[in-house]
Amino acid sequence: MANYVYSSSPHIKSPRTTRRIMIDVCIALLPACIAGCILMGTANAAYPTLGLLAFTHLAICCITSVAAEWIYLLCCKKPFKQIIAEFDFTSLVTGMLIGMNLYPTSKWYVGIFASIFAVIVVKMLFGGTGKNIVNPAIAGRIFAFIAFGAAFGGAMGYATPAGEIKQFSSPISHGSVTAGATPLQVLLGGATEATSTLTNLDLFLGTGVAGCIGETCKLALIAGGIYLVVRGVLNFRWPLVYILSTGLVSVLIAWIDGCYNANGKFVSALLGTKFVDAWEVFLPSILSGGLMLGAIFMATDYVTTPNTKLGNYIYFAFLGILTAVLRKAIKGEAVSFAILLGNILVPLFDMYIRRKPFGYVKPERKRVKKAAQEATAAKEGE
Amino acid sequence: MKLQRFKEIALDGTVRQNPTFRLVLGTCPTLALTTAAISCLGMGAAVTFVLICSNIIISLLRNIIPDKVRIPCFIVIIATFVTLVRMFMEAFLPDLYDVLGLFLPLIVVNCIILGRAESFASHNPVLDSACDGLFMGLGFTCAITLMAIVREVLGSGKLFGITLWEGFSIAFFANQAGAFLTFALFIAIFNVCYNAVERKLKHRAAHKAVEAENKAAAEEA
Repeated sequence: MANYVYSSSPHIKSPRTTRRIMIDVCIALLPACIAGCILMGTANAAYPTLGLLAFTHLAICCITSVAAEWIYLLCCKKPFKQIIAEFDFTSLVTGMLIGMNLYPTSKWYVGIFASIFAVIVVKMLFGGTGKNIVNPAIAGRIFAFIAFGAAFGGAMGYATPAGEIKQFSSPISHGSVTAGATPLQVLLGGATEATSTLTNLDLFLGTGVAGCIGETCKLALIAGGIYLVVRGVLNFRWPLVYILSTGLVSVLIAWIDGCYNANGKFVSALLGTKFVDAWEVFLPSILSGGLMLGAIFMATDYVTTPNTKLGNYIYFAFLGILTAVLRKAIKGEAVSFAILLGNILVPLFDMYIRRKPFGYVKPERKRVKKAAQEATAAKEGE
Repeated sequence: MKLQRFKEIALDGTVRQNPTFRLVLGTCPTLALTTAAISCLGMGAAVTFVLICSNIIISLLRNIIPDKVRIPCFIVIIATFVTLVRMFMEAFLPDLYDVLGLFLPLIVVNCIILGRAESFASHNPVLDSACDGLFMGLGFTCAITLMAIVREVLGSGKLFGITLWEGFSIAFFANQAGAFLTFALFIAIFNVCYNAVERKLKHRAAHKAVEAENKAAAEEA
């Protein structure tokens, strides 16, 4: 008996550990981080330190997140050696994502508080990695948004001449800084200008686009997403479903909008003016703001998505609808709020959409059963 | 009343059965009013007054009130004192009256007061009930004022209305979500400390008992 080793399940060993997956996510996030820093630094010749500021934010957030997790574990009397040995890089991913969700012009302490809130309150207090009910990075971003307002929003960040920042942020991808209009703002009716200076290609490459550090270059984000798909970390369907449903619902909303004239009077369903250039609505709405970052890296967190395939399809389509509708309602970016709301609803998805047990046989329907009984009764009668 | 009993009631009211952190009663004013420490002190004073008075009256009438209609009787007594407080405040402290607003008349349905009437004043002598009211009120006041200090300092950079610093504030703590978070963290910290102290005391008591036994055994030998 002594030769047998006892252990509880799971018994299959695989190289796909949490640490490995999280390192992959870190690598996938790197291009967007680098692109963000470079684009921010080159966006305004009069203000080249912006790229450095962006980099500082990223570094501060990463260090604070990891340090917060280690200090919490040390407070729980876990030996330091074990902490290092079991470090699974989730807090580093959280820190990177929070840094990517800040503006380069945010004040320096915003990232620290957001990271501490995300790691300590949202993750560790709920039981650590895999036990959090909402994505820590999303919660950290929303905490910063609610807690710091203007200091988070960017326009009054570091001590620099106001004119420079204004010049820099003129075409900005978020609704929070007023100067200039983005295609999304024009679309939603939240801008004073009739058209934006930014083209769809600008949005895709992130040239001249202000906003959060991580969401500037969509190309880098997509490249990171493809890396994750190749490595088998990410299922390409989920971000695709999210992004497509956001775009389609945006087109639908724009079409319904086009059916009414300026006075709010119903004109015609078929002559909806914006229906013709659906493409003009679809592209900016999927290329603007934090949708790519949210869809590829934040909404797809393993912990805060439903367990079943059907559940995931519905969940991500639901996120897309929520994003498009909330954007229209608040005339600004709403991806983070949509994902937070979705995360809270995940247990409901898992409650009503269950995985079929192995070997499950569908019970016969009542009417079929009754008919069969009647048939046998008739046979016996004969 | 014996000193031992007094001590017990005092400890129960402020720590062991602290209405806010241990019994989680009266959460409505706790969440809503803790944005400013001054108004919390006012609220605490009002609740303490109502608690003491209603406990005294209910304790005096405890043998007269029929058991089946005791709740309406309690409510009438409590409402009387709440109305008194409200009128007094409206006349002499109009500023505080404006800040507390709706939460002043709502003291009537504050669970702490009805709870103490039901579980303590209705079967304890008058002096004990008065003490219980006083210390329960103190416990409530201390708890919400502590919470308010944290929320006010972090949320608006002020303490008792005096500006400490400008330009830095975590507005999260000044709004509703922050209220829930602060409340939860306070309950957690309070209970961790409480359990640690209690365990230590128990340990010490057990240690003493063992020592006494050993001593007795040694003397016998």
